[in-house]
Amino acid sequence: MRRLLALLLLLAGVPALGPRAAQAHPHVWVTSTSELIYAPDGSITGVRHAWTFDDMFSTYALQGIESKTKGVYSHEELAPLAQTNVESLKEFAYFTFAKADGKKQKFLDPVDYFLEYKGGSLTLHFTLPLKTPVKSKELALEVFDPSFFVDFKLADKDPVKLVGAPAACQVSLQRPTDGTISAQKLGEQNFLNGDNSNFGAMFANKITVACP
Amino acid sequence: MTSLRTWRQGLAQGLAIGVLAVAAVLLLDGAMHVLMAQTPFGGPRPSAEPQVGGIVGWLLSKQSEFYREMSSTIRAAKSDGSAVWTLLAISFAYGIFHAAGPGHGKAVISSYLVANQETARRGIALSFASALMQSLVAVVIVGIGAWLLNATAKTMCGAEKTIEIASYALIAAFGARLVWTKGGGFVRSLQRPQPALAIVAAMHHHGHDHHDHGHDHGDHVHDEHCGHSHGPEPSELAGPGGWRRGFGAIFAVGLRPCSGAILVLVFALAQGLFWAGIAATFVMGIGTAITVAAIAVMAVSARDVARRLSGAKEGGGALFMRGVEFAAAGLVLLFGVGLLFGYLAAERVTCF
Repeated sequence: MRRLLALLLLLAGVPALGPRAAQAHPHVWVTSTSELIYAPDGSITGVRHAWTFDDMFSTYALQGIESKTKGVYSHEELAPLAQTNVESLKEFAYFTFAKADGKKQKFLDPVDYFLEYKGGSLTLHFTLPLKTPVKSKELALEVFDPSFFVDFKLADKDPVKLVGAPAACQVSLQRPTDGTISAQKLGEQNFLNGDNSNFGAMFANKITVACP
Repeated sequence: MTSLRTWRQGLAQGLAIGVLAVAAVLLLDGAMHVLMAQTPFGGPRPSAEPQVGGIVGWLLSKQSEFYREMSSTIRAAKSDGSAVWTLLAISFAYGIFHAAGPGHGKAVISSYLVANQETARRGIALSFASALMQSLVAVVIVGIGAWLLNATAKTMCGAEKTIEIASYALIAAFGARLVWTKGGGFVRSLQRPQPALAIVAAMHHHGHDHHDHGHDHGDHVHDEHCGHSHGPEPSELAGPGGWRRGFGAIFAVGLRPCSGAILVLVFALAQGLFWAGIAATFVMGIGTAITVAAIAVMAVSARDVARRLSGAKEGGGALFMRGVEFAAAGLVLLFGVGLLFGYLAAERVTCF
């Protein structure tokens, strides 16, 4: 009996030592804006991100980068760093996850990428082309880091823009902070309440585009 | 009658140890599945939602707050020297909270203390030494990399990654050594109650089949029958000679610097306040050490209570404790191997 107690005691201790889900707290903060790019036929061809890093990470990333004028970095001077950024982000699937009508979509390697330095912060611009452009009634795009090392936040102002999308398409946003769904109507028609009920999974920074 | 009792006892212990081993494996397995599921495009799961609830969630949000305040405080310190005190206070709090979150350092140290019959006092000393070594490594990386060589973040990150792999390999090697020595003591304890030997050995095999991937315990048992020489008695491990092994733990765990400290140091350097960054890093280390030491003391106390509860210093109780130590040694090995092969995600190195 006492041995059983001893065993229970130790078993209770194991989870405390265990690595659990190994949740990190964020070390990097990103404010994100995204453009969804559509072809004339109404299919989405890719996503163009602009990610602004916090000042600590921006400073860290700029360590050892030479510039002609102190504190001013041109796109050319930052080109090698931008190259490193997009190459490293591949491992994390660019923190961008897309589903068209519930089907996972794949992205190709980024194109048109560059870094911009303004007001002490670095902004990484890059375009992720979809492997196959897709026409869908509902497109869901999530930007987040599952391990939470990077904390993504959609910009307060105009975080999502549709470029060349059919006029009927509507964007709605879901931010992680308040847990509620804040709808932002960008199209001309009224908000469609039909297909948006599938929010069982409360993912961070979920962008949904409904095109009837 | 006596032999029947021993037999029953043996069976119970065998079962208990088997359960312990299986529980440990299930736990790790569960953790691994969680982590595997979290890999990008491995399909995010509902609970991948970053807002973790409960105590862990609260700890994470606290850390975030402190961490974010560091950059603004360092900036403020450029014009106002007194902000350095604020920086130190924040760093201290950050260190305490940071170590309270999940991490491998305290898990390895605690398991080592349990496995190696270390005292609480030595646990505290080891916690402080490894945390301070972590701070020192961060300062050396940034001091040489950024300050002396003006290397890029990419280069420093490469160095960090190499050190990280070395650290994990050392933890695994350290764990393997512990398993080897503890395995000896455990098997000898198993052999003591003669009538129970066959059953216990069978139970033991059963319990550990799921457990032992890396080290071949089965062979070990056979070796025992052939008069294989054993590791030192556990009682020989504690005491003065044990310090050297303690240094092994410090080195293996302390080698890997905290990503956060590196970021803070580079940021402080860029602001022309490298010394403030160094001070903050060491204060952070002290905060970390306090938490790790508290957890280590808890682990050691739990083990001591378990020893008292399990009764006898020899016979069944001793066997039980040998089993516990062996399992703890196995955990150190599993942590090392898991980290090395990426089954367990540690805090990521900032590499992009």
